[in-house]
Formats: sequence, C-alpha cells, structure tokens
Amino acid sequence: MNRNMWRVLMLALALCLAATGPALGAKLKIGSLSPLTGPYAADGNDIANGVRAAIAAIEKEGGIPGFDGIELMAEDSACDPKQAVAAANKLVSAKVAGVVGAYCSSATIPASEVLAEEDIPMLTPASTNEKVTERGLKYMFRVCGRDDDQSVAAVTFLTGHLKAKTLYVVDDKTTYSQGLADNVEKLAAAKGIKVIAHDHVNQGDKDFSAVLTKIKSANPDALYMSLQNSASGALMLIQARRMGITAAVIGQDAVYHPQLMEIAKEAAEGAYLTFGFIDENTEAYKKFASAYAAFGKPGAYSGYAYDSAYVLLSAIKAAKSTDPAKVKAEIMKMDIQGASKKIKFMANGDSGSNYIIRMVKGGQFVNFWDPATGKTY
Amino acid sequence: MEIFLQQCINGLTLGGLYALIALGYTMVYGIIQLINFAHGEFFAAGGYVGVILLAWMAAQGMTQSHPWLCMGLALLLTMIYCAMLAMAVERVAYKPLRHSSRLSVLLSALGMSIFLQNGLMLTQGVYDKAYPTEMVSGLVTFGGLQISIMQILILSTTAVLLVGLNALVFRTNVGKAMRATAQDKVMSALVGINSGRIIALTFAIGAGLAAAAGIMVGFNYGSVRYDMGFVPGIKAFAAAVLGGIGNITGAMVGGLIIGMVEVMAAAYIQGGTEYKDVFAFIILIAVLYFMPTGIMGENVDDTRV
Repeated sequence: MNRNMWRVLMLALALCLAATGPALGAKLKIGSLSPLTGPYAADGNDIANGVRAAIAAIEKEGGIPGFDGIELMAEDSACDPKQAVAAANKLVSAKVAGVVGAYCSSATIPASEVLAEEDIPMLTPASTNEKVTERGLKYMFRVCGRDDDQSVAAVTFLTGHLKAKTLYVVDDKTTYSQGLADNVEKLAAAKGIKVIAHDHVNQGDKDFSAVLTKIKSANPDALYMSLQNSASGALMLIQARRMGITAAVIGQDAVYHPQLMEIAKEAAEGAYLTFGFIDENTEAYKKFASAYAAFGKPGAYSGYAYDSAYVLLSAIKAAKSTDPAKVKAEIMKMDIQGASKKIKFMANGDSGSNYIIRMVKGGQFVNFWDPATGKTY
Repeated sequence: MEIFLQQCINGLTLGGLYALIALGYTMVYGIIQLINFAHGEFFAAGGYVGVILLAWMAAQGMTQSHPWLCMGLALLLTMIYCAMLAMAVERVAYKPLRHSSRLSVLLSALGMSIFLQNGLMLTQGVYDKAYPTEMVSGLVTFGGLQISIMQILILSTTAVLLVGLNALVFRTNVGKAMRATAQDKVMSALVGINSGRIIALTFAIGAGLAAAAGIMVGFNYGSVRYDMGFVPGIKAFAAAVLGGIGNITGAMVGGLIIGMVEVMAAAYIQGGTEYKDVFAFIILIAVLYFMPTGIMGENVDDTRV
C-alpha cells in the first residue's frame, strides 16, 4: 500500500470519528435557518445566537421533561432559495421538532414548503414579506411584522411628523427592499408628497457618490433608504453627510443593527428607522438580555429569534410531545409578552405588526415617534 | 457644470482605486501569463491589516497625537505585510506549478482566492469592521465644488504610487530585470537574472499596491468586510484587460476609464445607478471588439512587465 492510500484511509477514519462525535442521548432537536455566510451573515448569526440564547434560557428553567437536553442544528440558508431548500431538507432528514428561520423572505418561502410537507412547524423571526403567511400553510408562523404595515408607518411619519413635501427613494433591488420601497413610493405619492426619483443601487456597492451627488442637487426633504444590509446603510449615511446632504433619512428594519452606529458613528446621528416597538423594561426583555449576554450586543433580529425559539420550546414543553398538531394547538393558545413584542398568533400565523419610528441618538437607537398616536416618545 | 465636475472627481477617485488593483493583475500576467484570481484577496487583506494596525495604535493613544504619522505608518506596514503574504502565496500555490499547464495554475489561483477569503472570514468574523474615519474628516470647497480630504488623499497617494511604480519599472535595474524576465525567462536567466526572485518581487509589488487600495477604501467608505475583494477584483481585472493586459500604463488608464464610466452612467443615464456595472462592461466589450489587445496592448514587449 503506498503512502497516498494511507493518507486517504487516515482521512476517512478521521471523518468517521468526527461524524460519530455527538453522544447518543434522547435530545430534543430543533433547527435554525439563517444566512451564516455571505453579505447577510451578520443578521444570520444574530438569529442563530438568539435561538441559542432561548435554548439556554429554557434549559436554565429546567429544560423540557422527557428530553436529555436540547440540540440546535444551525443551518446556513445564505439568503439563497436553492441553498435554503437544501438546508431545509437536511433538517427534515434530521427529524427536527421545529425550525426558526429564515431571514430573507425569498429563502423562507421555498424552505417553508419543504418543511410543510413533513408538517414541521416553522417560525420566522425576520421575513416581513406579505406572502410568507398568505399561502395557507398550516405550520407557518411569523413573529416579526409585515412590510405592508411597515411602509404605512414610514409614510405616516413623512406626512405626520416631518411634513415632507419632496422625497427621494433608493433601494438595492431585493424582493424585500424593493417591495418596501415601491410601497412607500406609491403611498407617498397618494398622500401628495412629490417623489423626485426612485433609484436602485446594487447589493454590496460601497461607492454611492454618483447617486448621492444627484440627491444633493435635487435637495429633497427626505430620503427613504431601503437597503438590505445595515453596513451598506452606514456607508450611504457617511457619504451623504460628508457631502453635506441634510435631508431627513428614513431607513427600515434591515438597516436596524448596532453595526450602523459602529461604522457610521456621528453620521448615523438623527437617522430614522421603522422598527417594531421594543419595551426594554419588561421582565421578558431582561431575561433575554441576560441570556444573550454571552453572544455580545443583540442585533436587530436577536430578540425575534429568541422569541420564536422560546415560543416553540414552550409549546413543546406544554404539549409534552413533539406532535405537530399538539404543538400548534399550544402555539395558538399562547398570549405572552416576549422579549421583542406581545405575542398572540392569528389564524394565518401572523402575530401583528407594531412598527414605530426609532431614531439614532447618542450612538443608541431610541424610540422616537408612534404612528398610531402621532406623538413623540 | 458644478455637478459634472463633482462627478468627475467621484469618478477619478474610484478609478484611481481600480487602477491600483488592476496593476497587480497586469504585472503578474505580464511576467508569467497568469491571471491571479487571488489578487482581490490581497486588497481585502490590506483593508483588514490596516484597521487592525490602526486599532492597535488607537489603543496606545498614538492616533490622537499623531494622526498623519499613524496613517502613513499603517499604510506602509500594510503594504509590506501584503507584499510578504503575496510572496508566500506565490511560493506555495504558483511556484510548484511553474512548469505545469496554465490551466493548473489558474485553478490554483481560484483555490487560493477561496482559501484566503474564508481564512479572513474565520479569523476576522462575518461582521463589517469599522474604520476610524474621524481621523480624516472635512471638506475643501472650491467655488461650488466640494472635495473631501479623503478624496484628495486618495488621489494624491494613488498618483505618488503610480509615478513611483513607473520609475521603478522603467528607471531602475530591478525594473530592467523585470522587463527582461517578462520578455524571455530563459535568456534573462542566462545573463544572470534570478527569475524566481523577480517573479516573487512582481507579486509583492502588485499586492502592495492592492493593499494600499484596501486601506484607502476602508478610510473612504468607512468599513471593510471579508468578501470585499471579489467585486473590485473583477472590475480591476476588467480594467487591466481594457487597458491591454500586461501593460502597466494600460492598467492605469483602464482603471480610470472604468471608474469614470461607472460614475457617469450612474449620474446621467436614466436608471443608470442600477446598471452602472453593465455600462462599465459594455465599454470593455466594445473596446475589445475593435481593439482585441486592449487600448494600449501591443506586442512591443519592452513596455511589458
């Protein structure tokens, strides 16, 4: 036997050992789907960490009777429909009791169809596209809000608080970001705001100088910035403020991330974002914050992912079973204050939106304006 | 008119950065006819090394007292580091394949690119790293024209590096040896040129320039990310081909053209912000259709490296 054969054999042996690594206990398996690599890896890792924090919190409360611990299979959906389907299939063959994910609506929708065939409950912490819950899937739940509500909040703010007369819209062409920008453009025009232009940039662009020079000469009252990524949002803010653009900038939930201030620093000050109302004084939030401390600062979707996993695990605990019908019955019964919002599911699996306007102030996101009441906080 | 001039400056800044990266492609191609797909990763590595050095300097309190010195030092050290990295990559991934087919080396380069990018992701994380942009802020106003200090720095540093490179290649003995190796490796070896060392040096210089671009991109745009090398790498490659691959002046011209076209398309064509990359590549195709060797590509080998 020559040396190469030996190497191949040793490698095969090492792989076998690695594959048989985990102990063979009766663990409860749940899955998460989110982009762990690629341009949305920051949000994706926040989601996986949120699920990990929920598992830690549940285990601290005594775990789930009948199971020897909870195991997470954190799969990479890469915000790509094909990879999301492959990852969902992997979770199906691993027989997970439920899945938290995915992030991009364009990945969540095909993945949910794979999971639906096996009646595996799926709770999305971040996919805001309307279609996610409008396909009649029995086991699809949404813990975050919906885009149609989010665009209404943004436009209500433009007319109600900023009294903007002119608006410039920029998006980066994803199902989510462009859908939202189109909605805002339509609604704003209907409310009598003059939409000067609606430009598209490419995902992953770093240089926005050309489009910003156009914006500067158009001098709009407000700029609606619908980008899929908080880092891109930060780059756009830096360049806009450096050029001396003074228009009010309104972003959305994908730009909402502590990275925005870390990168843009003082350029982020005064930027507005539509995001779900988070009450940081609730017991649930404090519990989440202490469970999440091991993973650093919570990102935009950490709390939603935590809530999704917490809801799923509590339902399994209450049902004393992983049978999907029983788990669903428990999920529908739930009416709790979560870390991110009050959670009570409707028949279609939505749990309602509570978008408010938040603002960057002193390097922090603070609650600013409530579109429901028209009042500043 | 003011807006047009403003867009010209935007285009020049972007084009200068592309030119710096394009030089590495063109020099390596000139000397061993390899399209070094790992070149974009040197640019990304430069961005990261720069931010790590600056963070360390800030922790020592040096950035407060001597900001300019710190920036210069960071730039220099980053260029040296990436030059050494490129020599290591050349040694490991390309030198053993010197006598294999060109396809093997090309595949090795692609593999190296994936390896380096994932190495960056695993060691530095998936999150963007913020640059201390507050070190250089402020605008200079000429009439209605606004130029940020950073843009001036980029333009001047790029100009200095380009002039320096030209002097190195066309005025020094090392440059003469590089040109000789590019023309004929066997013959240059016969007259006593160590071609292995010259090839390593070519990689080092190209990577040093890309690293300089990386650190300036970090400062100009505010952050770096592990996968930032890919898109600018492709555009710089297009710039090198546009200028005539293998030709140093061509790479500079190509970079400036690609940068300018991108900015002008975004500024003046309806829906152009969305398709600015398309316009850059249309120019590339059009030029190659009429001049297959690129704008400055020719077979007179003494300007080639």
